[in-house]
Amino acid sequence: MTARGGTTLPSRSPALPAGATALGRLADERATGALHGPVGALYLADGAVVHAESPAAPDVGRRLTAGGRLSPESWEEAVSRGGPGYRAGGFLVEHGRLSRGELELCHLSALFDAAYFVLCPLEADRRPPERFLREARHWLGPVRPVPVAAVQREVRRRRELLERAWPCPAVDAAPVVPVPDATGWPGPGAAPGRGRRAVLEAADGRRTPVQIARLLGRSAFATLLDVRRLAAQGLIRTPAAPCPSPRDPDPAGPAETGTEPVAERHGTGGGAGAPELSLLFRIRDALEAL
Amino acid sequence: MSGIDACLSEAMAIPGVRGASLVDWTSGLTLGAAGDGPDRDHETAAAEAAELARLAFENSAFTRATEDTGPVEDIVVTARGSYHLIRFVETSFDSSVFLYLWLDRAEANLAMARFRLQGLTTELVLS
Repeated sequence: MTARGGTTLPSRSPALPAGATALGRLADERATGALHGPVGALYLADGAVVHAESPAAPDVGRRLTAGGRLSPESWEEAVSRGGPGYRAGGFLVEHGRLSRGELELCHLSALFDAAYFVLCPLEADRRPPERFLREARHWLGPVRPVPVAAVQREVRRRRELLERAWPCPAVDAAPVVPVPDATGWPGPGAAPGRGRRAVLEAADGRRTPVQIARLLGRSAFATLLDVRRLAAQGLIRTPAAPCPSPRDPDPAGPAETGTEPVAERHGTGGGAGAPELSLLFRIRDALEAL
Repeated sequence: MSGIDACLSEAMAIPGVRGASLVDWTSGLTLGAAGDGPDRDHETAAAEAAELARLAFENSAFTRATEDTGPVEDIVVTARGSYHLIRFVETSFDSSVFLYLWLDRAEANLAMARFRLQGLTTELVLS
């Protein structure tokens, strides 16, 4: 829970400090514009983060329409009528489609979710963006600006949470494959919670965590965390590639290892020592819960 | 009422309240805060309250017991000098947010604070 300091963190992408430095400088300058690259963009206004987008994280529109809160038509209307004036979000509230509180909650969740994948890209060979387009604004409009330091702190915390849940980034990008006969989870409290159940139900053996998040209109980070917890519980398969240690900065391309079917099914051994690790983590969690 | 800030400022008007914050329990992130936090720190309290919230929300003992009536609504912690109230915000899109109140036990009325908290979380997402 307490911050362990950036230097001791397991680093999925060694480029985080670079992106972080650029961001810090832009915050100091009170810059307005978009820090952008192939992994997404962070929009700043007066040095604060007002929006973030990443192909990995469902955007506000997807979140609001996936569960039926807004019809796709309502959302498109807001984008086409409010977007040109950089105030699609405001349009929704003013026209009674959404309360201010809903917009703020949904937007903040989307912002922190996308910011995580922008600053900590899933693909090991990608780096956080370093190009800055001054004066660029997002069509959604500012909702609730967040200080750069708060975004960076949250990204570090989320990375720690993932590592603590199950230190194996290979499951992040691989298709989620439920273990067929693992329904008899041991003991009370070990049954998957609602979020994890939804992830399991959406796991068809082909969809990756990011695709499941998009399908459900749910936070991609929360989905990733659920996937890691499911892997720790032994309810989904961990890709056959050896898990890098939490300190290993290079997970060696989880995307390509993930597409291969996992070596052997359950049996007594499972595969690649996963059951033993899983057991150790369950024991650790139980001890921590005492 | 509209928005997070208005919600928090109304929460601060509840008798006996020392601090209020809106927290995402997936990670323990504080989305907004007003007044004091326990130990004058909203961030730490938010992260710790989030652990508690996640346990209650995800564990089978609580969710199974309430399967027919819906998920966990709130969590009440009473301590010698204070009350801690956690109320889940129900949204019709995916979210994992609760409103957290820290109250002075000598000045607060638990039943009333809980009732007001319920109203606030409903109004926050009412259009």
